[in-house]
Amino acid sequence: MGREDLTSISPKRRSAEALPTANTNTSNSEGCTLFDMSRGCRIKKTFSTLLTFTILCGSITILVLRGTIGIGNPSFTHSYSLGPKISNWDAERKNWLDENPEFPNHMNGKARALLVTGSPPGPCDTQIGDHYLLKFIKNKIDYCRIHGIDIVYNMALLDEELSGYWAKLPLIRRLMLSHPEVEWIWWMDSDALFTDMMFEIPLPKYDKYNLVLHGFPDLFNQKSWIALNTGSFLLRNCQWSLHLLDVWAAMGPKGAIRDWAGKVLTANLKGRPAFEADDQSALIYLLSSEKDEWMDKVYLENSYYLHGYWAALVNRYERIMEKYHPGLGDERWPFVTHFVGCKPCGSYADYAVEKCLRSMERAFNFADNQVLKFYGFEHRGLSSRSIKRIRNETTTPLEFVDQFDVKRSVLGRSGGSKSPP
Amino acid sequence: MLERFMGARRVRQIQRAIRHSTVTFLCLFLTVVVLRGTIGAGKFGTPEQDLNEIRDHLYSRGRRVEPHRVLEEAQPDSEADQSNNYATFDISKILVDDEPEEKPDPNKPYSLGPKISDWDQQRAEWLKNNPDFPNFIRPNKPRVLLVTGSSPKPCENPVGDHYLLKSIKNKIDYCRLHGIEIFYNMALLDAEMAGFWAKLPLIRKLLLSHPEIEFLWWMDSDAMFTDMAFEVPWERYKDHNFVMHGWNEMVYDDKNWIGLNTGSFLLRNCQWSLDILDVWAPMGPKGKIRDEAGKILTRELKDRPVFEADDQSAMVYLLATQRDKWGEKVYLESAYYLHGYWGILVDRYEEMIENYHPGLGDHRWPLVTHFVGCKPCGKFGDYPVERCLRQMDRAFNFGDNQILQIYGFTHKSLASKRVKRVRNETSNPLEVKDELGLLHPAFKAVKVSTASST
Repeated sequence: MGREDLTSISPKRRSAEALPTANTNTSNSEGCTLFDMSRGCRIKKTFSTLLTFTILCGSITILVLRGTIGIGNPSFTHSYSLGPKISNWDAERKNWLDENPEFPNHMNGKARALLVTGSPPGPCDTQIGDHYLLKFIKNKIDYCRIHGIDIVYNMALLDEELSGYWAKLPLIRRLMLSHPEVEWIWWMDSDALFTDMMFEIPLPKYDKYNLVLHGFPDLFNQKSWIALNTGSFLLRNCQWSLHLLDVWAAMGPKGAIRDWAGKVLTANLKGRPAFEADDQSALIYLLSSEKDEWMDKVYLENSYYLHGYWAALVNRYERIMEKYHPGLGDERWPFVTHFVGCKPCGSYADYAVEKCLRSMERAFNFADNQVLKFYGFEHRGLSSRSIKRIRNETTTPLEFVDQFDVKRSVLGRSGGSKSPP
Repeated sequence: MLERFMGARRVRQIQRAIRHSTVTFLCLFLTVVVLRGTIGAGKFGTPEQDLNEIRDHLYSRGRRVEPHRVLEEAQPDSEADQSNNYATFDISKILVDDEPEEKPDPNKPYSLGPKISDWDQQRAEWLKNNPDFPNFIRPNKPRVLLVTGSSPKPCENPVGDHYLLKSIKNKIDYCRLHGIEIFYNMALLDAEMAGFWAKLPLIRKLLLSHPEIEFLWWMDSDAMFTDMAFEVPWERYKDHNFVMHGWNEMVYDDKNWIGLNTGSFLLRNCQWSLDILDVWAPMGPKGKIRDEAGKILTRELKDRPVFEADDQSAMVYLLATQRDKWGEKVYLESAYYLHGYWGILVDRYEEMIENYHPGLGDHRWPLVTHFVGCKPCGKFGDYPVERCLRQMDRAFNFGDNQILQIYGFTHKSLASKRVKRVRNETSNPLEVKDELGLLHPAFKAVKVSTASST
C-alpha cells in the first residue's frame, strides 16, 4: 500500500504484471504508450489485449485437448482386427458342409445352434457369486438338454485387449470359424436364466436375418442406449457376421480407445451414463450410424422375451403360474429372465443386493419347477430350496413320460429325426 | 469519483488489477467449457447432453410415454436391506429353512419306490413306439446320460462353489465332444437318503423317466475329465449292466472297502439295475439304520474306518456276499481310469504331457481324476486344503488345455488361469486340423441317412 512511484517498479515486476506479448513495450509502432489514455490508443490497446487473450486461451485449449484425448483419435472407419480378414466365408462354409454330411447344419429338423456363455477364470468377489453362476449354468444345461442344443462355457480370456463384456467378440468369431456346422451362435450372459423351459425359438422366422436381438425399433430410432440387449442374441454363422464383429470390435480395446469411445457413446446415445464403451452401446451406435449397411439383416424381436428385464418379471411369477402355462415365452410366461445390473460375481450391484439375490433364487426355482414337474416334484415355494413330491411313484412310469415329457413334445413338434434338408 | 478517495495512481492500479483478473477468469472459464466439452463434468454432463435435455424438454409433451421402459414395482419394504454390497451381505437371510418332512414310519422298511418287475418289457415297448428316440445313437454308441450334482445350498467353504463351477464346465466340455447329455441335480429327492446316498433315488427316477437312455453315468462333483479324447469302450460292456473302476481280487477276495469306487460308474437302464438299486438302498436311510449298517461294514470290510454306512462300502459288501447273484453282470474295470485317484496322478501331469498323448485313458493319460477326500465344498477334508485346491486347478487346466488346443490356445502353465495362443489365426480356418482331432470327432458324427439328399 502507499504511494508507489512507477519509475521505482522493478523491470521484473513490471513484466510480470504486464501481459507477455509484444504490446507491453513502453512504446509500440503506432505511437501509443502504456500510459496513453486517448480514445484511439485505448481502442488499439483493447484490441491488442483481446487478440492476446484469444491466442493465449486458444493455446491453452489445444494443450488441454491434446492432454485429454490424445493425439490422433481412433477412427471408426477402421475396425479392430479380430484376425486375418476372411472374405469368402459363405462359400468356404458351404463347401465344408457338402464335404462333411456327418456334421450337418440342421439337426432334428431345425438349424443347429450353439449356446455360448461364460464367466471369468477366477473366483467371484464373493462366494455367493460363484454359487449363482453354478445355479445359472445348471438352468442352461436343463434348457439345452431339452432342446438339443450344445453349450460352450468359456472361462478363458482369448484377447487381453478385449476384456470384460467385450470378451465375447473374439470368442464368437473363433467358434464360428471352427464350427462351420453351427448355423446360429446364441450368446447368453451368465446372469440370464431360462424361465420358459418349453419355449422354442422360432428360428425359421429369421431365415432372412443374420442378427436377432431383443429390442424395440422406436427406442432404436431414438438411439436409446437400451434400445436392444446384447445379453441374449443370435448371430448367424456367415460372412456378414464376421464383418459385423470386426467393425463392432473397434470400440472395445481397453484403455484410451475404450474410454474415448465411451465418451462418444454417452454423447450420442440417449440416457447413457458416463462410463467406458460397452458392447451393447457400441452396437446400437454402430447399427444406427450405418443403418443402410446393417439393418436389413437385423431383427429386433419383442414378441417374446429373448431377453427379459428381471425387475419387471420376478414379482409376477405366482400370478403367472396361476393363469398361464409354459411355452408362451412372452410377458405371460417369460422366456428369459435377465438379471441386468445385479452383477452377482462382483462386489457391488446396481440394485439392493438382497432384492437381487431373492429374485434370482425365485427365478431359478420358477424355472426348476418346470424341470422337476416331469419327475413328479416341485419346490415348496419359489424361495425354497427344498422340494416336495407332487406325484406318487407308480409301477408304470412310462404313462407319465408320455404325458409330461417336455423334450419329446419339443422335438416332436419340430419334426423328430427327419433327414436334414 | 473514486479518484477523490484513493488518488489517480491507485485507481489505475485497481483498473489494471481488474483487467488482469479479467484475463484470468476468462481463461479459466474457457478451460472449463472446453474440458466439459471433451471429458464431461460428471453429473454436470456434457454439451451434447445439454442439447438432448433441451430437446427432450421441448418435445416431452408431444412424445408418448415409453411403454417399454418398465419400472420396478414399488416395494415399500423398509425392513429389507438396501445395501448394494455383496461382501457385507449376510446370505443366511435368504436361505429359507423349511419345515422338515413328516417323519417316515420307522416300522416300514425303506423302499425306493413300488416294485417294478417288467421294466425290460415296458421299456422295449416304449422304444418300439418311439423310433425318434432310439437307445443307440449309432451302432456301438449307446445313448448316455451323465448325472452329477451338488447341494442347493452354497458351500461351507467359500471357494467350494467356484470349484463346482469349474468341475461342471469340465464335464460340459467332455460331454459336448462325446455326444453325452448331462443332468445336474440340485434337489434332494428323498430326505432319508441324504448325502452320498442321494444318488440312488435320483438314478432310479432318471432311469424310469428316460427309457431312451441306455447307460446312466454317475459322476461325483469332485471328479474331473482329464482325457478329452478317450471314448469309453461301450462294446466291451455289451454283456454287463454295471461298470465300476475296481479290482475283482480286492472286492471278492479281500473285501477291501476301496476295492471299487462309486464316484464314477455306468449303470444300464434295465430291470437288473432296478433290482440292484433296491438291494443297495437298505443301508442308506439316515439315522439308526445308517449308523448300525456302518458298524457292520467296518467290521466286515478290510481297512474301513469307523463311520456311518456309505454307498461304496455297501456295494463292496453286497457284491462280496452275493457274488453269485450279481457278479456276472458287474464289470470291475481297471484297464483305464474310469475313476482315477488324484493322489497318484496329479504330480505326473507334466511327465504325461512330455511322454504321452490324450486318448489313452489309463495311467499314461487318465480319463478321470477324482479328488476323493478333498471335499472342496465342505469345511473339512481329509487332505490339506492348499494341496487339494492347487491340484484341482492343475487337473482342470490339464483337461482344459485339450479343449483350448482345438481353438489354438493353451494355458500359460498348468497353474495359470491365463491362456496364450499356440496357433495363429489364418484366413483359411477350415484347413486347420487340431492335433487331437477333437474339432469334428468321429464320436460326435451323426448317422448319415441313406435316403438323404443334400
